[in-house]
Amino acid sequence: MWNSLLGIFHPAASTSALIWRLILAVAFSIALLVLLHRFLGPRGRRWLIAFVTFAGGLYLGLEYFLPVRGSVLWPTGMPNPNPDRAANILTPGIEPIGIMLSVVGAFTVGLGIYSLCQVHGRNVAQRRPGWHNSGAFFLAMSAMLVFGLWAHYLPDQDAPGGRLPWQESTYELLFGGIFMPLQAATFSLLAFYIASAAYRAFRIHTAEAALMMAAAFIVMLAQVPVGQWLTHGLPTTGPLAFFRLETLGDWIMSWLNTPAQRGIVFGVAVGGLAMSLRIWLSLERGTFFSEQG
Amino acid sequence: MAGSHATFWQRIQQIPRYYIYLLLAAVVTWQILFPIALPILPSRVTQGVYDAIAAVPDDQLIIISTDWDASTQAETGPQTEAIIHACFQNGKRFAVMNLQPPMGVKLANDIAQRVAAEYGAEYGVDWCNWGYKYGFDNVLIALAKNIPKTIGDDFHGNPVTDLPMMEGVENIESVGLVIEITGLANVTELWIGLIQGVYGTPLAGAYTAVMVPSYYPFLDSGQLRGVLNGAKGAAEMEVLVKRPDRASAIMPVQSWAHMLIIALIIIGNLGYIFGRRRTTERPS
Repeated sequence: MWNSLLGIFHPAASTSALIWRLILAVAFSIALLVLLHRFLGPRGRRWLIAFVTFAGGLYLGLEYFLPVRGSVLWPTGMPNPNPDRAANILTPGIEPIGIMLSVVGAFTVGLGIYSLCQVHGRNVAQRRPGWHNSGAFFLAMSAMLVFGLWAHYLPDQDAPGGRLPWQESTYELLFGGIFMPLQAATFSLLAFYIASAAYRAFRIHTAEAALMMAAAFIVMLAQVPVGQWLTHGLPTTGPLAFFRLETLGDWIMSWLNTPAQRGIVFGVAVGGLAMSLRIWLSLERGTFFSEQG
Repeated sequence: MAGSHATFWQRIQQIPRYYIYLLLAAVVTWQILFPIALPILPSRVTQGVYDAIAAVPDDQLIIISTDWDASTQAETGPQTEAIIHACFQNGKRFAVMNLQPPMGVKLANDIAQRVAAEYGAEYGVDWCNWGYKYGFDNVLIALAKNIPKTIGDDFHGNPVTDLPMMEGVENIESVGLVIEITGLANVTELWIGLIQGVYGTPLAGAYTAVMVPSYYPFLDSGQLRGVLNGAKGAAEMEVLVKRPDRASAIMPVQSWAHMLIIALIIIGNLGYIFGRRRTTERPS
């Protein structure tokens, strides 16, 4: 029963079976949404979201912590469909859940495009200040979408003289000739801001700030050949070798930075655990329920 | 403060930012046109990546996960190129793949094609491109158990099972090394949590310089065999594969840009220290 239920998440055997599954899935989803919308008030929706969140967390948690066996599913004794991996009764559901999460995640792309079109469409329609930037967004998105898909679905063919078909060369121009340089140039501007910000903000107000600056200088110099050149006169072995900038920089990274990073990772992990518990038990109300009071 | 009554020490704390931008642009242009080349010494962490590639058994392949895009390609592009050189020079088969952002797989494919042509390497025999795979952790969990089923089609839309180099490749046991090249945080943690930590598959990384300090704990624990540290790591790898290229060309620029930033910080602090001393000495 359990395995046959999970079977609906596996690839369909034929095209007609796939179509039937799609029709049934859409019909079921619409019916479910209509029923929920009709019979559940705000309070009921709240409880439903809290229940689904709790059940999902409980399932994944139990699957991880329950005992596992190789040839059978613990504790039922049913044969394990994948004997290479030790499993319990909940394990076969992990892959379908993963697929479901991927599908739900894919919806966010559509949601993102819808949201962008809504915001920029309003700007264009109402001629708000800077509306031409929103117009540029629609132009760029349409051009990339049309030529990207066109080039992708173009049948492979040997173009005369080794030239690309015009649809593909247009896509290459948009992608490699405009989008990539724009993205790289935007990121490169950071160098100017970092130089200016370092000059303005980095003041040795305290002894700790002085220590931090000394460490930063050593690591920055160790990161470039000119730094290595500055101490190239020191021997590569023996006690003095420690004072070569590249060695000193590596020492700072390994002996001072590593424990600090470990501390941060542990802190973040403990914080993540606490936050996960709050979300799992729907105590973190700000995200889901803020608009409903 | 920076008006006509400002002292010299106060004024040098207030250099207009446009002058700083101009100075940086001048230094970069100077080093692009007239580079002062200095020797590049491979560090132990870069050597670790090279040694990990060389140590991969011939019957196993290398996965190069190219999770980067144009914004970081000044660092990650040369890293990818140098790593591919190292694979070809050591006669190792490799598969390029991409988890996020999708642009990385095309950029890496262009690099791999160009480098492969230098060695006369054949697609599908010496290397292949598994393409962009959506789903992060779900992809890695499935990849560990069944590579052909998880990957399905390659970058060109052909079944990976048709590629000669995929013969005998079943699961993560067929993989001798994973190299994660990225400008994104948390992708390496997935490889560590789902692949290296569970199956013991060796892992190495290549990251933008700003990310590298976060990964020293994993180097220390041996979970990462080595790391390429930004453009400098790429330049060091170019030295190891004896192919000085873009990263080596960047090094003089980066050297003198760092020197300029250090000089600016020192100037700002001299102004701060002496300006403050003068203010406290002045009778009220």
